[in-house]
Amino acid sequence: MTRVLLVDDHPMIGAALEMLLRNTDYELFERARTAAEATKQIPKLKPDLLLLDVHLPDASGLDVLRKLNKSRSKLKVILLTAGMDESQLLAAAELAPEGMVLKTSDPALLLGCMDAVVKGGRWIDPEIAERTRHAEDRAASAPPLTRRERELIELVRQGLRNRDIAAELGVTEGTVKVYLHAIFDKLRVDNRTELALKAAELIRR
Amino acid sequence: MGAFPLQTLVGPQSLFKYQAGRVIALGRVILATLFLIAVWLDPSEPVTSIAGTYALLILYALSAIGIAGATWRNWWLDARLAVPSHAADMAVFTAIVFSSNGTTSPFFLFFVLPLLSAAIRWSWRETALTATALVILYLIAGLLISGTGTFELERFIIRAGNLMILSLLLIWFGIHQHRTNLFFAPGQFDTALAERENPLARALSMAMQVSGATAGALVVGAVGEEPSDGISIVGGVERGFSVEEAIVREAAPEAFLFDVPNDHALTRAPQGRFHFGSAYNLLDVDEARGLGLTSGLVGEVQTSTQHGWLILWDIPELSTDFVDLARELGRSAGVILDRHALFSAIANGAAARTRLTLARDVHDSIVQFLAGAAFRIEALRRAATSGAAISAELDELKRLLLEEQGEVRGFVMALRRDHDIDLSEAVAELRALAERLSQQWSVDCRVTANGHAGSIPIRLQLDLQQLLREAVANAVRHGRADRIEVSLDLHGGQLQLNVADNGTGFGKRKGQAIPEPWSLKERVERANGSMQLVSSPGSTNIHITLPLTGAVA
Repeated sequence: MTRVLLVDDHPMIGAALEMLLRNTDYELFERARTAAEATKQIPKLKPDLLLLDVHLPDASGLDVLRKLNKSRSKLKVILLTAGMDESQLLAAAELAPEGMVLKTSDPALLLGCMDAVVKGGRWIDPEIAERTRHAEDRAASAPPLTRRERELIELVRQGLRNRDIAAELGVTEGTVKVYLHAIFDKLRVDNRTELALKAAELIRR
Repeated sequence: MGAFPLQTLVGPQSLFKYQAGRVIALGRVILATLFLIAVWLDPSEPVTSIAGTYALLILYALSAIGIAGATWRNWWLDARLAVPSHAADMAVFTAIVFSSNGTTSPFFLFFVLPLLSAAIRWSWRETALTATALVILYLIAGLLISGTGTFELERFIIRAGNLMILSLLLIWFGIHQHRTNLFFAPGQFDTALAERENPLARALSMAMQVSGATAGALVVGAVGEEPSDGISIVGGVERGFSVEEAIVREAAPEAFLFDVPNDHALTRAPQGRFHFGSAYNLLDVDEARGLGLTSGLVGEVQTSTQHGWLILWDIPELSTDFVDLARELGRSAGVILDRHALFSAIANGAAARTRLTLARDVHDSIVQFLAGAAFRIEALRRAATSGAAISAELDELKRLLLEEQGEVRGFVMALRRDHDIDLSEAVAELRALAERLSQQWSVDCRVTANGHAGSIPIRLQLDLQQLLREAVANAVRHGRADRIEVSLDLHGGQLQLNVADNGTGFGKRKGQAIPEPWSLKERVERANGSMQLVSSPGSTNIHITLPLTGAVA
């Protein structure tokens, strides 16, 4: 019996998965509703398989996955999501979980994915694979970010003002503005708030 | 509009509001008459050239009356005669003061009239010029009579000093007035616009009420384009209009008075000298006649995105002061239009945020629900294939679908609305929902409200409905309650929601903290509200406070 830990805050999904996995080789033995709960329970409960939602109330499921990768965890992870934007798709591809399934796909696909992953394979929902390819093509066609631009984005994400960023990087405020506009163009964003949100995923790649 | 405190600002019957010319003319008449009476009553006066002094005084008094009469309702003549009559004032007063006892004349203080006139009518520069001219005239006259028996050097020096101190004070007054010459407080008119009220009509009404005009037009266009669309109010009737040719020509000054029949136009730099011109050069006469313009004022209106002109006519007490008033009215109209644009942008932004939140809710709730339903159906299909009984599960799924149906209905209704809803309407919808929930969960759920006045944002209404669903589900599932009482109160900008049930409560389990109703808490926090839970076996009370504004929409 494969012990499954579900990380998802939506009550309907929890109850439905519990039903779906009934009379199968999987046991939905525990459920976490937040990223914090998941991070606490995983080492304690040592599940065999993690069904991880991307949209959690306190953080992104991708953050949980990133922590697991960092700690070189052997835990098999299936991302279960109702939808991801382009930057999340790229980040998810980079983090390479064993499986990715859309909640809106045929539920039979989830069981197929779980079977493949438990046997040591990797299974990605065809729609997610297609959208990821599309996002990668778009990202590849955009000019790459330079090291300096990545540094600057990180400082924007920390909430620093242009003046502080200029002091930090040892350049003038005018130069910071020029850099910022080049980044806005590359990442197709309109302002620093949008940049901070979108770059949250891109910068980690 | 009727709520504006108009009468306190300008009464149409007010004789001296915005009437500097009238005040000066009347002052001149009173002083000249007083002079004449005083000299006539005092047998020791005049000291020199008795017949000449009487003749000058009588002539001056008569001309003062003539000027007052002629300029009383004629702003053009008032402006035209301003400088000559001012010069005459100075010359006549000097002559009379020195013919009536010279340096010891009791009428010395009458020098104040020209000084005050300059300070009231023009800027500090003209006041300074007047003061200089008066001091020089006083010195020349003093020198001329210094050899006579009436000359007293000591008194002459003291009075010359007095004159200079008085002049300096009035020059300071002129400079100070130049900085603070607001005729009225635009804030008094800056009340919130009623829904769908035309901001152009509001700005125009404000200007008409301040000026006392009974007819007016406000014509605007995008910056860089000729103002061509506008609104007019004539005889209380408001109508929109478009002009083919710009009514006010591009080269027109920021503010001016016009008199179309006599082809007069009067303008001046702020508190500066008058400039006389032709109305035909500043106005398109055909368009002006089309609107019915006779004489009135024009003020330039500028906003962040628009440029235009405020045109007022049929002003009963039009005077030269209205040039400066026109400038301020134009600016104030611009402020009103700008503020309206800002508030519209804020309102639109809030509506857009509400829609985004609804979209997120639809995604989080409906899409997740449907995904879950699909999982359940797949599970049921598998169970049915293996011959297991599935009717109980099907019943549960049906119940969930019906519940979700109500949720979707709420979303759609909220999306259809584009404004706040009355509390009474919100309460009625909550009662209907409570009735549905009572049937679904086989409980007695009631909603009471303390008062129905006021309105709440759509976002909040949606939150209320969701909170009620979740509270009832919690009470039945976890507390096995069969009676739920919900009360609602709108007080001090906050909505108070109280949910009381007779269930087993959120009792503390061994070794664990009191479990919190997670879904409720999350929704309340998202709406920037707060929640208190008081629970004991047989009674659970959840008190939720939600702010009407500042909710994360």
